Amino acid sequence: MPIENFLVLAAILFAIGFYGVLARRSAILILVSVEIMLTAVSINMVAFASYLDPDRFTGIIFAIFIITVAAAELALALAIVLRLYRTRSSVNVDEVNLMRW
Amino acid sequence: MGGLLVALVATPIVIVPLLFLVLDEISAAEFVFWLVAAVIILGALGAVLLPNIVHATLALVVTLLAVAGIYLLLSSEFLALVQVLIFGGGVTILLLFGLMMTKAQDDPIVSDGAQKPFAFGVGALLAGVLTVAVLDVEWADEAGATVVPFRELGVRLFRDFGIPFEVASLVLLVALIGAVAIARHSEPEPEELAEERTE
Repeated sequence: MPIENFLVLAAILFAIGFYGVLARRSAILILVSVEIMLTAVSINMVAFASYLDPDRFTGIIFAIFIITVAAAELALALAIVLRLYRTRSSVNVDEVNLMRW
Repeated sequence: MGGLLVALVATPIVIVPLLFLVLDEISAAEFVFWLVAAVIILGALGAVLLPNIVHATLALVVTLLAVAGIYLLLSSEFLALVQVLIFGGGVTILLLFGLMMTKAQDDPIVSDGAQKPFAFGVGALLAGVLTVAVLDVEWADEAGATVVPFRELGVRLFRDFGIPFEVASLVLLVALIGAVAIARHSEPEPEELAEERTE
């Protein structure tokens, strides 16, 4: 199986997540799209490690760290979204346009 | 109605690679790859396009679990396990709790969708540029995916990447404390408590 299969899959997935970040209006769905982008990068790294670097497989270590940091970032971003919802009663990112109110 | 749509979409996705497999054009691993890749792409499209917010999050869960299948195809079982546990377990629960606590309304909340064509154009451009860049490279000969020995993975993670490992655990600790500190209800000041008591 050529490596381009995995790389093109990762590229398409990244672009889909990118569209989601730009087009979604709810903060939680933007976080969902960011998760899709991070997963795409992870697939890319693991494909490189498995095909091109079989004796040192740095890409898999990289993917483990991507998963770790993605989970931590999601937790913090959701905490901020909860705080925002508590103040504004809405998670629509179009309404968050003042630096301080 | 929805079942009919799923059957219409799933039939060519299953039949066409099966034909190629039967005709010895692609290997069995590649057939499985096409199936899993179709699930991933459809799940990701559902996560960014579905208006119902809970449906979109569940489509993300399907996508993340199918990505674990990709990791199995790349012969890293540990990473597939980690993906299922953390993404399929933790991230799913986190997102659904976030939806519950913010009283999820369907997206689009506002009728202004003026940036969706722009976003679609930029996304398609990005996909095109990345795909062309990937396909343009002369990759090494097709040795295929090599199995990653699990013991060497542990040695590499804890010896060569020991410092990033510790830093990552610190990142998780900070995220844990920070999330609790940001999201909890603030307690009233002691003076306010004293005032309430004297009133």
